[in-house]
Amino acid sequence: MKQVFLMKARSVLAVSLMALAPLAFAQNTIRIGMITDKVGPAKAFAEPVAQGAIFAARELNARGGLLGRQIELLVEDDQGKPDVSATAARKLVDAGAVFILSVSLTPATQQAQSVTLETKVPHLTPSNSGDTLTTQIANPNFWQTGPLASTQIATLLSYARNKNYKRVALITENSALGQLTNQFFKAGLEKSGIQVVSEEVVPGGSTTADPQMQKIRASNADALFMTGVTVPENALILRAYRQLGLKMPVLANYNLSIPVYATIAKGLLDGVVFVDAFDPVKAETRRFIDGYKKDTGTEPFNLHGYGYDGLMLVADAIRRAGSTDKDKVRDAMQATRGYQSVMGGIGSSYGFADGRRTGFDTNGMVVRVYEGDLQGKVVHVGQK
Amino acid sequence: MRDFLELVVSATASGCVYALVALAYLLMTRPTGIINFAVGEWAMVGAFGGFLLLSRFPIPYPVAIGLVLLGMFVVGGLTERLTVRPLVEAGAPPLAPILALLGMLVVFRELISVSFGPDPQPVPPAFGFGRLELGLLAGSHQSFFIIAVTAVVFTGVWYFFERTLAGKSFEAVAIDRRAAALMGINLRLVTALAFCAGGAVAGLAGLLVSPNVSAHYLMGLPLAIQGFTALVIGGVGRVEGALLGGLILAFVEQFTVRYAPVPPGLAMGVPLVLLIGFLLLRPTGLLLAREARA
Repeated sequence: MKQVFLMKARSVLAVSLMALAPLAFAQNTIRIGMITDKVGPAKAFAEPVAQGAIFAARELNARGGLLGRQIELLVEDDQGKPDVSATAARKLVDAGAVFILSVSLTPATQQAQSVTLETKVPHLTPSNSGDTLTTQIANPNFWQTGPLASTQIATLLSYARNKNYKRVALITENSALGQLTNQFFKAGLEKSGIQVVSEEVVPGGSTTADPQMQKIRASNADALFMTGVTVPENALILRAYRQLGLKMPVLANYNLSIPVYATIAKGLLDGVVFVDAFDPVKAETRRFIDGYKKDTGTEPFNLHGYGYDGLMLVADAIRRAGSTDKDKVRDAMQATRGYQSVMGGIGSSYGFADGRRTGFDTNGMVVRVYEGDLQGKVVHVGQK
Repeated sequence: MRDFLELVVSATASGCVYALVALAYLLMTRPTGIINFAVGEWAMVGAFGGFLLLSRFPIPYPVAIGLVLLGMFVVGGLTERLTVRPLVEAGAPPLAPILALLGMLVVFRELISVSFGPDPQPVPPAFGFGRLELGLLAGSHQSFFIIAVTAVVFTGVWYFFERTLAGKSFEAVAIDRRAAALMGINLRLVTALAFCAGGAVAGLAGLLVSPNVSAHYLMGLPLAIQGFTALVIGGVGRVEGALLGGLILAFVEQFTVRYAPVPPGLAMGVPLVLLIGFLLLRPTGLLLAREARA
């Protein structure tokens, strides 16, 4: 009778331990939160960035984790909505996240900062490019490593310096980031003494960009700058450019660097100049591409690199802090200098010198030119 | 002059797409009184049908059009059978099927998003991406193709309603459902066929526009809004109204952007001003239904 009782007790104990094991695992992990957009307008961009971060977490865990503990990535979907993003940040803080990555729209990341400012939980966006993210809110717990829109236009202008453009046209679409990018491109152009003679918007959901491109054709601009960030509208612009027989050079923001254009705008890309933050020849980038391919069986591109860099940078800060204490992690992140990133041209690195919270090297962007439908080699680096 | 004539072709092609979506609304709304805002998502499903049949597993274009029409006919019928009919038969208030169809909008969008991913997908045009010049008129091959197909569809639908007995039964249901039922017209069949036809026409609109805008999971809502605006402008009562509304909307959109001295950001609001204006000043639209003309 006693033996039967003991056997039953052992079974109950074993089952209880099995049930509690995940809890114990969770208590021993370092929780990093990630806010992404799984269903909203940023999904197409947020998804590969998030996949890069997930790969980084897997790679770190395979190497033994961080401070002797495994990394647990807590993922929340904000649907690209600022209010939901703040709620997601609050949920992650409550769940014990020691760091939050924002991989969504710029306005959503801005709103999530209201939570990290209050709770002092360190917060980073590895991919947003809006210049205002670190200037509109004085949040010492927030950093940005995506290349700024102002860096993009400065790099393009540096490349185009010897082209002697006097009068240019700008075309964008009406998403928040498209408008913001356009605003910074325009400011950069005007600062350089270049006149913007035509500024057009192709609204999301348009079925043609013919009227806008006709206006640009009539403006006799020396060059056309594309500042939109949504693929269907950019493809419409390129289609109208070819159909209407425009000949001026096209210089585009980093959005033209994502590989989907090779299929969506097939036959329309030859000669388009674009900025990128990804140089496949760079050693760190090559290593990342090989590792990602080996792990997932698919070829990564620049957006995956942003997410990978983001999580690795967070891990680096926690490692240097020697703990997950948020004050120590914040100080360690702010002290980052010369971090060898996947993103950025050869020789560029991330760092937050002089109290800055934007970490992308201002000379880290590269310029490439489409050769047919293929992204050509790097033809220019930085702003010099 | 060159710009003007190019824009005539471009606006006519866009107007035809809006008109097809408006026609899809009309085919369902006239006999049933139900506004189906999921037509935009049906257009999206049609576009992805085009992606599958023309890009991924390429088959001849006419066969692809036929299969997309057939597939969307079935999608329309299934949507009616699963979401509208149970509510109508249970005596639910008129708003209930409209809300259920709004729910279907989300279901369709997420199904496509999960199945195909968030990236846009390419759909080739019927005759390549070239430019065609017909005298003074010039535009893309696809623009002329859209115009030709739309003309055929509207002629066919007009003929159906005006010249066939089956079409007359649809009109009878539209004018007075109860009287039509007393005359022996099968209301259930008319409702089902209205949704089937709506699905096919919306899917065709998506297939035709997708070579320009690509097939992507967010393409449905703008088309639904543009089609609805066209319907309000043209009037719910007549097939020709959908075409007229679509063309007016597209011409106002594109000629405002090209010629009106308004900032580019404000030009986007002009179609909405048009919609509000019609709702306030002429809610019946430009063309009145038959009973109102009597």
